[in-house]
Amino acid sequence: MSNGTPSSSAPAASRYARFSPGRIWTLAAATVTQLVRMKILAFVIVFCMIVVAMGFAFPVLNPEQQLKFLKDVSFGALQFFSVVIAIVATAVLMPRDLEDRTLYTILSKPVPRHEYLIGKLLGVLVLLACGLVIMDVVLSGVLYLRQNIVLGQALQAMEHEGAATPENIASVTASVAKQGLTWSLHVGVLAIFLKASVVAALALLISCFASTTLFTIVITFLFAIAGHGHQLFREYFLEGKTTVAMEKIGAAVLAIVCPDLGMFDVVDNVTKGDAPPVSDMLYLGGMALVYVTGYLVVSHLLFVEKEL
Amino acid sequence: MSNTDDSVSPANESSARSAGPRSAEAVTVENLTKVFKGQLGKKAFVAVRDLTFSVQAGEVYGLIGPNGSGKSTTMKVVLGLLAPTAGHTKIFGTDSARVESRQDVGFLPENPYFYKHLTGMETLLFYGRLCGLHGARLRDRAREMLHLTGLENASDRRVGGYSKGMLQRIGLAQALVHEPRLLVLDEPTAGVDPAGSRKIRDLIMEFKKRGITVLVTSHLLEQLQEVCDRIGIMDNGRMVREGRLDDLIAVENQTEIVLEDASPELLARIRDLVAADAGKASVKQMGNPRTTLERLFLKATEDKDQ
Repeated sequence: MSNGTPSSSAPAASRYARFSPGRIWTLAAATVTQLVRMKILAFVIVFCMIVVAMGFAFPVLNPEQQLKFLKDVSFGALQFFSVVIAIVATAVLMPRDLEDRTLYTILSKPVPRHEYLIGKLLGVLVLLACGLVIMDVVLSGVLYLRQNIVLGQALQAMEHEGAATPENIASVTASVAKQGLTWSLHVGVLAIFLKASVVAALALLISCFASTTLFTIVITFLFAIAGHGHQLFREYFLEGKTTVAMEKIGAAVLAIVCPDLGMFDVVDNVTKGDAPPVSDMLYLGGMALVYVTGYLVVSHLLFVEKEL
Repeated sequence: MSNTDDSVSPANESSARSAGPRSAEAVTVENLTKVFKGQLGKKAFVAVRDLTFSVQAGEVYGLIGPNGSGKSTTMKVVLGLLAPTAGHTKIFGTDSARVESRQDVGFLPENPYFYKHLTGMETLLFYGRLCGLHGARLRDRAREMLHLTGLENASDRRVGGYSKGMLQRIGLAQALVHEPRLLVLDEPTAGVDPAGSRKIRDLIMEFKKRGITVLVTSHLLEQLQEVCDRIGIMDNGRMVREGRLDDLIAVENQTEIVLEDASPELLARIRDLVAADAGKASVKQMGNPRTTLERLFLKATEDKDQ
């Protein structure tokens, strides 16, 4: 340690604010840096790019199918990895902070526990959003290129067959355009982000009482799988398709606890080239917000009682 | 080591910005009891039992005791990391349960680890921002703390590559970054070599000079003896002895005289004087005083460095 330090005017810390977006953003930014330096994002990008490249390799029957395959594979990869990253990235954060005692140094500063939770979740969501935006840009670029190549090949084939009438050209162009790059693609990516946000908030909730990271990951995966069958549970519970009381109770509990992840599956429509209506997307956005807020509130209730 | 810098502002400067109520007591612990609930049929564990003590503003208070005596639990309750089962704790008059009580506290946990992916500088900026500091003033403050703790040359290195002693020092720097009036140090010298340990001890002395209150636990009792004004000894969750250090360690019926270059004749005359005394006085020990192993180590390594 050194002797002597230049004196300076005392930097006055600001007065304590009960809710500080600045503190939340500081925690979120540190979380993003932590996850990025854990190479999580790089792994997703590399893997998804490989998948996109594989999309080119599929043998196909017609131009629309080529584009649909590309979108199917890419969206499948995006969905899978966004959910995996949402769960894994969120699950490792709090146990690691607790294990390394970083949580002590953070919470011994004037940081309310709810801000810690919001900051951590926000960091994961920012990372997910960045990853999905990058992939969206890559996918859009690849799709646009592929769309032009496919259209060029189709027109060439029509000319070769002597079928290049204005009507046929317009029909093929419209068909390829519908399966090519459209706004519905971005809407699909947005829906994937909303679903991943809900799953991340659920993982955060579970990590508030879980004793190990593995437990959080496994339980969240199970809930995520169950969440895709939410409609089935609702039907059992609300429409009385089963008469066994325990089954009804179990279905009811799951229907309440599990998020309805099935509602975010608009990707099938998107890959067909159909964009969901704006009202549907607003509804999905609202529901995602309700789920995330609800899970955060429950997380706080658990975390505030947690003995550190 | 002696630090003569002004980077750690005096308590009155710090207190001028504090929004909390004024209090002569930096830490107040009243009838604190902490019981950890038993899980899966296990019995509940009483970590702290009806503990009461206070730390006056500006003093260095040492909390000592064997492992499991409740020192760390007490510190965690004071910092609001644990909720008391009964009783309450206050920091400068504000209940520890209130988040704003932590505005004036810096905490160094035992064996601290920080975000491995951040550099030393980034670590201090992160903790400074959490305390409401920002901009150029935060950067200046972070640089001052790196200088104070001797980590300037490691400021761009990731904390994951820091040695044990460096981790303790970056821990001290983050605890001080927002100029707290109270420092809570849990085993600040654990796992640190004697030279690093001595440096941390000297820093505590410097904080004391500047009016910063320090609540510290350590197993190195000799070091605590050198820096603490008052000591509390805990055992089995209870305070078994507490008071001013000088009062606690003084042997009241003995007197120590240390002579330099005394001849054997002089020593013999002193013995004779004592023997001739009509009272009960007797010479208990006479010989060369011993240095400590720590001082010997430090002197040997310093000589080698030179």
